Amino acid sequence: MGSLFRSEKVTLCQLFLQSEAAYNCVSELGEIGLVQFRDLNPDVNAFQRKFVNEVRRCDEMERKLRFLEKEIKKDEIPMLDTGDNPEAPQPREMIDLEATFEKLENEMKEVNANAEALKRNFLELTELKHILRKTQVFFEEAEYYTQAASNGPMTEESVNLLSDEGLTQGGQQALRLGFVAGVILRERIPAFERMLWRACRGNVFLRRAEIEIPLEDPVTGDQVNKSVFIIFFQGEQLKQRVKKICEGFRATLYPCPETQAERREMAIGVMTRIEDLNTVLSQTQDHRHRVLVAAAKNIKVWFNKVRKIKAIYHTLNMFNLDVTQKCLISECWCPVDDLDRIQAALRRGTERSGSSVPSILNRMTTKQEPPTYNKTNKLTGAFQGLIDAYGVATYREVNPAPFAIITFPFLFAIMFGDTGHGIIMFLFGLWMVVKEKSLGASKSDNEIWNTFFGGRYLIMMMGLFSIYTGLIYNDIFSKSMNIFGSSWNADIAYPGDMGNNVEKLMLAKTYRLNPNSTNWSKEPYPFGMDPVRLGAMSQSTFGL
Amino acid sequence: MNSVNFNINFGYLEGLCRGFKGGILKQTDYINLVQCEILEDLKLHLQSTDYGSFLANEPSPLSVSVIDDKLKEKLVIEFQHMRIHSVEPLSTFLDFITYGYMIDNIILLITGTLHQRDIRELIPKCHPLGSFEQMEAIHIANTPAELYNAVLVDTPLAPYFMDCISEQDLDEMNIEIIRNTLYKAYLEDFYKFCSTIGGSTTEVMCEALAVSLLTYMSDSLKYVCIFCIVQFEADRRAFIITINSFGTELTKDDRAKLYPRCGKLHPDGLAKLAQADEYEQVKVVADYYGEYKPLFDGAGTGPGEKTLEDRFFEKEVKIMMSAFMQQFHFGVFYAYLKLKEQECRNIIWISECVAQKHKAKIDSYIPIF
Repeated sequence: MGSLFRSEKVTLCQLFLQSEAAYNCVSELGEIGLVQFRDLNPDVNAFQRKFVNEVRRCDEMERKLRFLEKEIKKDEIPMLDTGDNPEAPQPREMIDLEATFEKLENEMKEVNANAEALKRNFLELTELKHILRKTQVFFEEAEYYTQAASNGPMTEESVNLLSDEGLTQGGQQALRLGFVAGVILRERIPAFERMLWRACRGNVFLRRAEIEIPLEDPVTGDQVNKSVFIIFFQGEQLKQRVKKICEGFRATLYPCPETQAERREMAIGVMTRIEDLNTVLSQTQDHRHRVLVAAAKNIKVWFNKVRKIKAIYHTLNMFNLDVTQKCLISECWCPVDDLDRIQAALRRGTERSGSSVPSILNRMTTKQEPPTYNKTNKLTGAFQGLIDAYGVATYREVNPAPFAIITFPFLFAIMFGDTGHGIIMFLFGLWMVVKEKSLGASKSDNEIWNTFFGGRYLIMMMGLFSIYTGLIYNDIFSKSMNIFGSSWNADIAYPGDMGNNVEKLMLAKTYRLNPNSTNWSKEPYPFGMDPVRLGAMSQSTFGL
Repeated sequence: MNSVNFNINFGYLEGLCRGFKGGILKQTDYINLVQCEILEDLKLHLQSTDYGSFLANEPSPLSVSVIDDKLKEKLVIEFQHMRIHSVEPLSTFLDFITYGYMIDNIILLITGTLHQRDIRELIPKCHPLGSFEQMEAIHIANTPAELYNAVLVDTPLAPYFMDCISEQDLDEMNIEIIRNTLYKAYLEDFYKFCSTIGGSTTEVMCEALAVSLLTYMSDSLKYVCIFCIVQFEADRRAFIITINSFGTELTKDDRAKLYPRCGKLHPDGLAKLAQADEYEQVKVVADYYGEYKPLFDGAGTGPGEKTLEDRFFEKEVKIMMSAFMQQFHFGVFYAYLKLKEQECRNIIWISECVAQKHKAKIDSYIPIF
């Protein structure tokens, strides 16, 4: 670990990479993470850079992966995340990856389309089933009304004036009610009714009943509430109008047979078809599930690989292409102490790419101020982050972080100052530190947990110091404590007097002790403040 | 309301609106966009703007219609977020803005039905901000009276229909008349609503109106009304109706009925416009008004000249920009919507030029900042 007192010495270097070796060298440099590249093409547009096509291909791959991830999450399949670090694949492997993703995406799309068609069928059959069930009541009522209507003219006197044909004709007209039955979203029913009433001038008769269980919408997969409705009307024109309105409100109409017997037959047929569809549907779901489970095993690794490729090409976009088109030039900031490691990484990269020409790292002198680089480990990292939140120090300035390691928890403890709660805090921090490998691997999404886990060393130190200040303040679990016995004693304040003044002492509300007396036991309270202050009038509410 | 109490109810939304306004594309963005060779370049550049990765999940190759849909979707989401979080009277104000789109949707659907198009084809073409429940059942109506009685009487547009209920059939000519009548009633109603926001402080763009509409003076603040936005809109419609009606069967009286009466042209300018027979006479009318004279100068359809429509768009952009110069008023929401729409039009224009590889007129977008 470098010295944390000041930031590391950083120098500007020039990098000459052969075009074939460039990808592998940047990959190796990325793995060790010790180099900061400068953008040598600042005024070139994003889409005019050299490797923009590769970046686009990476974008496409990421899009496909996101689509797959969404499907996996929808099915609630756990994605395996072992936390290992896959290396960036070679450029020629990119084509293989692209092909794999393409195949997976197409398969998923096909399966989804099939499932949607099946679900739509299923929905229709379910709705039909509900219609057949509910319309029984409606038809009975409708018959009652038409009965009453046809009975009416019989009792009037004017009936005798009509000839027989006219009567039967009139009677038939009164009985001839057409109807349509269908299903509509529950939210749309009020507007639907109102529009029907208005458009048909009140000449239609609507009955509706709710479907209790929510149905699944095939496209979005949401549960929606629907209602069955049936509309009675007379005449062809009204029928057309009613149909148009139903279409406008996206109500689905179903052919419903008139007689009871036909309805029962249809209901049985519908039930068998629903059963068949259910089997096919579950088989499709199984297949889909299998495909997704296979994909879920690798998806995190793929994401990492694609991101690494993208990052490498973004970095390569910052390079300058030499006039001879043979090598790429870049400028970067490197810490002086790590130049050997960087050289080694470059050598590895050049060997991996099989190029014969070695890459050159050339130190340059410059008047520009280098960036601030602090080498931290997991303990000091949290404190460095705390300091950087207020502002990053300039190059080679004294770094406040090493001082903060002690002063920050101490100042916290002065304000916290409770032994009992300090013990709990310390134990919590200690548990996180001891179990840090297993806890760190579980990669939780919870922001608060991640904040606490990132500051586990901080919490441990703060707990430790709080125990110390708690003892000084005589505070444990917000209760006062007196471990060693106070060195102040009302008895010895006025020696010899006590025997006479016992009643006075008992009755007095307050008693002032004289600190100037020489009769105190010569030892002060061994550790911290003397607990006698906790009974004093000047004590503040929180015992400080 | 005054500036003291404005922030209690509307401060968050105004701040949000100004944040959205800060994300509108600048001149440098447009310069980069016109250099694109293919649509994917456009997508790449837009990733670095406020639009972010709005096209990230679209499979390539992109098409201009996909870009158009996504742009509109983003705008609609932002607007509806503001609408959902608003209280009176801002919510009524935002609703008023959507009525304009509702009118456009109605006319689109009726025209489509006339041409025997299936209603399901037309619904995706409607503007999402102007959708209402009964919209999809519009095709049952054959005459305006039916349209009103069956469909529109429950919508907020019902009072605007007073002038145009007739028993004539809906055909091409009548539909345009209906559209303009509706829009005229809507603009006048909007104007009235703004004046009843009660000393409401909303920004004006015209200096002339600022002087004549002073209601309070307080320190260095001048309170003026949103009248001016609406006035410009009204006058612009009057001009466009006149110019478009040359050569059609619209009589002068009918035309006069379509002019909204709340603009600066009312009453004298409107009377003159009603008598105009050709473009030159319209230009003469415009010469009387200081703001509109420069728009007609040099406007034409030749190459290198901007059309009158473009000129109106430019003036609109300028007025909307100055709406942001004052605080504590509702004009910022309207102005933001209009500016974003203009930006969408710009991006689509550039996309079309790029997609068709015809970059001659690519610079005819209207820069906003």
